Amino acid sequence: MHRPVRHALQVRIAALAAAALAAALPGAAPAAEKAKIVIGATLPLTGAEARVGGFFKEGYDLAFEQANKSGGIQVGNKKLPVELILQDDTSTQATAVSLADRLVNSDHVDFLLGTYGSTLVEAQSTVGDQNRIPYVNGGGAATKIHKRKFKYLFGLLAPVELLGQTLMQWIDGEQKAGKLPKPSKIAVVWENTAHGKDFRTGISEYVKKSGGAYQIAVDESFELNGKDFGALLGKVKAAGVDLFLVDAHLPDYITMHRQYVQAGLCHKVVSYGARGSEKAAVEALGAENVEYVVSGVWWSPLLAEKSPLARDFVQAFKARYGGRDPEWFQALGYESARALFTAIQKAGKVDREAVREQLSHLSMPSLLPGGTLVLDAKHGFQAQNAFVVQQNMKDGTSPIIYPKDIATGQGVGANPRCAK
Amino acid sequence: MLARLVDLAVSAVLLAGLYATMAYGLGLIYGVLRVVNLAHGGVIMAGAYIGWVLFGWAHLDPYLSIPIVVVACFALGAVTYRLLVRHLPRGAAGGPASLLLLFGVWLVLRNAAYLLFTGDDQAIRTTYSTRSVALFGTYLSVNRLAVLGVAVVTPLVLHFVLRRTYLGRAIRAVGQNPDSCTLVGIDVGRIYTVTFGIGTALAGLAGLLAATIFSFNPSSGSSELLKSFVVVVLGGLGSFLGTGLAALILAVVEVFAILVLPSYLTAAVGFVMLVVVLVLRPGGLFGHRVLG
Repeated sequence: MHRPVRHALQVRIAALAAAALAAALPGAAPAAEKAKIVIGATLPLTGAEARVGGFFKEGYDLAFEQANKSGGIQVGNKKLPVELILQDDTSTQATAVSLADRLVNSDHVDFLLGTYGSTLVEAQSTVGDQNRIPYVNGGGAATKIHKRKFKYLFGLLAPVELLGQTLMQWIDGEQKAGKLPKPSKIAVVWENTAHGKDFRTGISEYVKKSGGAYQIAVDESFELNGKDFGALLGKVKAAGVDLFLVDAHLPDYITMHRQYVQAGLCHKVVSYGARGSEKAAVEALGAENVEYVVSGVWWSPLLAEKSPLARDFVQAFKARYGGRDPEWFQALGYESARALFTAIQKAGKVDREAVREQLSHLSMPSLLPGGTLVLDAKHGFQAQNAFVVQQNMKDGTSPIIYPKDIATGQGVGANPRCAK
Repeated sequence: MLARLVDLAVSAVLLAGLYATMAYGLGLIYGVLRVVNLAHGGVIMAGAYIGWVLFGWAHLDPYLSIPIVVVACFALGAVTYRLLVRHLPRGAAGGPASLLLLFGVWLVLRNAAYLLFTGDDQAIRTTYSTRSVALFGTYLSVNRLAVLGVAVVTPLVLHFVLRRTYLGRAIRAVGQNPDSCTLVGIDVGRIYTVTFGIGTALAGLAGLLAATIFSFNPSSGSSELLKSFVVVVLGGLGSFLGTGLAALILAVVEVFAILVLPSYLTAAVGFVMLVVVLVLRPGGLFGHRVLG
């Protein structure tokens, strides 16, 4: 081979290698060359979490539709449309991780939105840090997810510890109003998961600081999908507690509360954590049996009465989905996408590092309780918005009873059913 | 303290009824075919859904729908045997091939349920779902009492069928020695089909009864299968009386464990007991009998 020809070949190979390297480097694609922003996500669209996965998809779809309706996201001096590449992770950890990896390394998405469920998010979020790509999720609340000091992981679900604390804050108000005994004896019963442990921590930390206003008389956990809570409820009954505070998923809520009612138990305050007002629970247990159950959730459509952003979201959601009210799942999906869009806009370029930097100190008006979404390093980039406490009333409604500034109704401190 | 112990004893007896109901089908199929029916959990789930559909669409009380669920699940079991299980070599029927095959059947059932009913949790709520009766100073769930009744009646009926009918005697004979049965003119294939059908019907019945107590979704059935397995092994494979007693022992141990253990560990007690029994008495607490 002639020397000039060989030299030209070497130059071409070097140029190709440089191009390949440039393409592989994170955040390398300049905004000017981008025709659109591609965001990857997986959701559990089939499998055990299919129902909620579908709800999150509705939130994502609405956020992307709204962003593109106005021409896309303002990036620097031009608007770029956003495209969502969504895959079904089948509610399994391994699939969630491998699909996220594929989205990053085969589809070359610019950013990632998260899946739903603490266990899936915990596993999948490693892909974000490994590939240095911002990963924004609204589906993983367990505190331990954010205690790993990941730099590219951002979560909009407030920790479940706050759920326990917010419930206790409302209970404290009722105790100070003389509706609950002082000290109040508490049974804290929690599912043996990260979710349940966080709930228990929230309650017990509050009790420790209460100066003797509360005593934890029963502190028990249980395995998921329990078949019999008779012995556990017997322990609660024997302890003679005033407050029955449980953290349970829907199936255990239904099984445990059926046995609770059958055992003739009644407590001044009954809560199953985030569970309480779901249609499925009311149907399975009967409206009369879930009266005065207190629950805490990350978001409620009732916030539309107090927050313009929540009102706009509810209206847009109803218009797109046949008049149906959104639940917190859709709201968190929508808000996660919006948080990512806001960070991209603030960064002014489609650059992973620049967007990560914006997310790491993000503060934006939000439809979440409190009206502002803040992400900061102090809390492991996990939002700390208050929970919305609701209570099932005799008329079938479940108004927000706490925090007071967003309350749509007055809570009932001492369960009137116990007086019967 | 006495009241607490009575509470726990009542809980244990009612729980035993549920465990026994779940385990009879698994024990019957293993006792005769030597097949560990991994689809058992899937059929329990299917039984729950059939009852739920009948309750929701035809407003049929779950206890009145027992015959329909039993017949439907019998047919499912018979078809599964004829189409799939019988093609396994007889000697290898209880081996890895049948485990894989029946696990596959379970996956098909589960995904069919996802397709038909989505992953939502469902429950059957009747007028008596949360009703209880006061007895011995404690409250007894009407539903759990009914399940206990079924758990007591089922082995009696099975015992009668196995001891007093030609079909029952044939099933027992095939369970003991299928080759000799062939020599004396018993249609072993037919007996296997019927037995697999009855075992599957019992699993469906357990699912229906469980649906009156718990919520369920397409993923349900795995914990039921595990408990059934523990009960069947503890009781001695192929022994109905042993199965009933093992269910009672398991329930008593699990329920009373709360007096000394945290609640979340009580479920593990049964599995520890299983390991101990397998080491000390591999034939189960009541020995290995064939359908007695």
